[in-house]
Amino acid sequence: MLLQLKNVSKWVQSGGQKTFLLKDINFWVNEGDFISIMGPSGSGKSTLLNVIGMLDGFNEGEYTFLDESVHSLKEKHRSNLYKQYIGFVFQSYHLIDELTVKENLEMPLLYKKYGSSERKSLVGDMLDRFNIVGKKDLFPSQLSGGQQQLVGIARALIASPKLILADEPTGNLNSKQGEEIMETFTQLNKEGVTIIQVTHSEKNMAYGSRVINLLDGNLV
Amino acid sequence: MYTLYFKIALRYLLKNKLYSFINIFGLAIGIASFVLIMIYANYERSYDKFEGSENVYRVYMEYLEGNSFVPGDAQSYNMVGPTFKKEFPEVIDFVRFYKLEETPIELDDKVLEVNNGSLADHSYFDIFNVGLVKGDVHTALKEPNSIVLTETVAKKFFSDSNPVGQTLRVYRNKPVTVKVTGIMKDIPENTHFKINYLLSYNTIVGWDGISKNQREPNWNNNVYFTYLKINPNTNIEVLRKKILNSNFEDNVDERHNIEPLENIHLYSNKPYEAEANGSIMRVKFLTAIAIIILVLSLLNYINLSTTKSLERAKEVGVRKVAGAQKQQLILQSVIESVVLNVLALILGGIITLILLPVYNSFTEKVLSLELGSIPNVLSILGSVFLGMILAALYPAIVLSNYSPSKALKGKVRTSSNGLNVRKGLIITQFLATIVLLIGTIVVTKQINFMREQSIGVNLSNVLTINGEILTEKSDSIFNNDFAALLNEVKKNPSVTDASFSNSYPGCGYERLSSFMGITYPDGTLDEKKVWYNYEVDHNYTAMMGMEFIAGQSFYSNSKGYSRDIVVNEKFVKEIGVKDSHDAIGKKLKFWSRDWTIVGVIKDYHHFGVKNPVLPIMLRYTPTKDFLMIKLNSKTIAEYRPIIAQLRKTWSSVFPESTFNYSFVDQKFEAQYEEDNKFSDAFRIFTALAIGIAALGLFGLTSYTCIQRKKEIGIRKVNGASVVKILKILNIDFIKWVGIAFVIAVPVAWYVMNSWLENFAVKTSISWWIFAFAGIMALGITLLTVSWQSFIAASGNPVDALRDE
Repeated sequence: MLLQLKNVSKWVQSGGQKTFLLKDINFWVNEGDFISIMGPSGSGKSTLLNVIGMLDGFNEGEYTFLDESVHSLKEKHRSNLYKQYIGFVFQSYHLIDELTVKENLEMPLLYKKYGSSERKSLVGDMLDRFNIVGKKDLFPSQLSGGQQQLVGIARALIASPKLILADEPTGNLNSKQGEEIMETFTQLNKEGVTIIQVTHSEKNMAYGSRVINLLDGNLV
Repeated sequence: MYTLYFKIALRYLLKNKLYSFINIFGLAIGIASFVLIMIYANYERSYDKFEGSENVYRVYMEYLEGNSFVPGDAQSYNMVGPTFKKEFPEVIDFVRFYKLEETPIELDDKVLEVNNGSLADHSYFDIFNVGLVKGDVHTALKEPNSIVLTETVAKKFFSDSNPVGQTLRVYRNKPVTVKVTGIMKDIPENTHFKINYLLSYNTIVGWDGISKNQREPNWNNNVYFTYLKINPNTNIEVLRKKILNSNFEDNVDERHNIEPLENIHLYSNKPYEAEANGSIMRVKFLTAIAIIILVLSLLNYINLSTTKSLERAKEVGVRKVAGAQKQQLILQSVIESVVLNVLALILGGIITLILLPVYNSFTEKVLSLELGSIPNVLSILGSVFLGMILAALYPAIVLSNYSPSKALKGKVRTSSNGLNVRKGLIITQFLATIVLLIGTIVVTKQINFMREQSIGVNLSNVLTINGEILTEKSDSIFNNDFAALLNEVKKNPSVTDASFSNSYPGCGYERLSSFMGITYPDGTLDEKKVWYNYEVDHNYTAMMGMEFIAGQSFYSNSKGYSRDIVVNEKFVKEIGVKDSHDAIGKKLKFWSRDWTIVGVIKDYHHFGVKNPVLPIMLRYTPTKDFLMIKLNSKTIAEYRPIIAQLRKTWSSVFPESTFNYSFVDQKFEAQYEEDNKFSDAFRIFTALAIGIAALGLFGLTSYTCIQRKKEIGIRKVNGASVVKILKILNIDFIKWVGIAFVIAVPVAWYVMNSWLENFAVKTSISWWIFAFAGIMALGITLLTVSWQSFIAASGNPVDALRDE
């Protein structure tokens, strides 16, 4: 088992009342899963994804990631954990505008203190794998949305995470580009990467092996 | 990794050209202003510093006024040095100077006028740590009739031949023949005692160009500068007490005191200084302005980059998610700041170098960034750099504190804390700007006020001519020659009147004689006060437009001399006569003679309006020091041919002579020159400070508009007019100006009030000054803010909302 959430709840206090963002979530992920989180706007999909990605905390419950109790870890350990094992893909790509494709891919490696030759070969592999060698010196603004998202995925993958969290990865793309991205995810999943995606679309949902439906912070 | 940081920094700067420009340019201006002012301030503080200078003290006079002693003349008696050396073991040595004004020096037939000459004891070289380029430093000034020249002066006379052993003639009323015994390097400019040549002190004994009394050792003629070299282990306060309590001259109404040589230039402003000194007040004010400008530009930078960092929240989020540590983010942000600041520093340096020549001609100093002053330059650069690092850290820390999940969603709003910090910064900026504005207005108003003051005499169109007659003639022949000259000059149609005097308003103290000890008309003897007087011809008062309150001017007589005196109102009050009319015919006794007051003139400003009016006395003598000429006002515009005519007349009477002229009103104005410059500097640097602040405001507004783009769009969609939106965007800034104004008023009032304390005649700090400064600050703010916000407010709201 890769991770497990037990009775996880998250709420905000407003006017003396608790408003639940997530309520009593129980949920586990095995290595190699491809999970789609579905639900209408405001149902807590992104919040759940952020909790899993350890970008957000929660108020109650237990979260175990690779046998570590995330809820009892210190902030520093927690961030080390997600930095090591999790890659993020965003709806609006979140590439750094001032960096070229190559430099954007290299960035996470820099923070993880990889040596220069190792960085070079990893970046080269990624460029090859996603077929974007020709684009390596371009800036994000010079790429199409689909290409930007490919770079985003490549960046998420470069440090070989166990888990990819994708928040509506095709939300800003047209249907053809979206299909290509989903194909890429399927391929990655086949290679053993665990993927959790948040999506609105039934079509994208179909790529996954398991679906989790959320409504008003509850699993349904 | 670092190369990447630098790469990003540069790309970021290039991408955000307006932001980069505002930041770099604003900082560069701030740095350049700071450096320029500070090298001036450092230069002013660098006066009279050499190896051993900390052990050199000047002796000055103190006079009893009422029950306490007050600082008096900078000059003392020629017995002071030898006596102190003998009586006080702490005094290692002394040097006396007898200063000569601009003096003709003759080599064969070549005559040059050289200023800043002195007779000096041979101990000068040791005490002032000056060596000789040629000649023997131990003997150069030992023998009478020896002269030591600076290299520049020597070059003028001898070009490249060896001057040592040659003879020169120095004129002061009568010539003295002297032998060149040494050449010294030019004395640095930053000394209060400028020297172009030195004559051995004992030359004075045989020089009949100097009055007999001054040639002999005396305790009653204080016309000598005395400097003491004190043993370094001395407790100065103990020595000072001993000196204060000594009474070698046997006169309880005066005493001697000592002051450190290094302090003279900035802290001493006594009668009979060797030159007009600087002012510590001015240096402090300018330093304050320098710091304000630097801080303003740094605040600007902090503010802009913090605001701008909101835009980069997304990037920070991405980096955090990609695994960046907080320290790494801070480091990156600091590196970006350093890149920007170094660029600003380079630009600032370039601006400084470009402006330095202009600045030098403005300050009339030789300021430079030369290597000799490396510690100074380093301390200046150090403070600049420290400020920059501090300025870089704040935005870096703000930036690195963003929570990644929020930053990625673009939900970063600065905390109320951060907002307060920025508000504080803006208010501080406004505060500094308003204080500077008020300061500028007060300084300008004071300068104008001084100019507009009636000085009590009419100096316009008055020309003064003095020259040294190089031929030796008896006094009676001289007098005849001058009578002939006066006749000739008066024949010139451009000349309304002509007279003689040995001083005139604007000359300062140097040409006035002073004495103590006078018997009032009622018989009381006063030995405490100093009385200033000068010598004039009978028609001098009329020519200078002096107004008589009682009596009249001197009756001309064939001797050209009388025991009558003309005094001013202040003088009448001082001698205890209530009404000026009663003073006429009253007899006074000084110099063991009786004198009769024949006229009382209205008080006039002899020393410029900066100084209070002193009691002054005019005596009728055959003085020939200055030929005073009143020109016809119609011809004043074309004065050059008149000067040429006068010069011709002069040299027809005195073929062998020098000829100098100046306009009295210009010389009088020159007394305010330093103040004028100060006011100019104040204005220029205030304008720069406002420019920097406006630049920052501009940048800040443009980002506020970007940040509030969506809000503006929504408001417009819901029917808000452009004016309404302008109001929303402006209201905060107006509030901040208001707060800054309230704080600025008392601060500025206090500071400027203490500045005005320096002047005898003060302008008032009226309420409209504050109102004006406030309105100006508000106006500049509204203009800057509205320009930007108008663009934002008049845009199509759809553009603003589409991004979401």
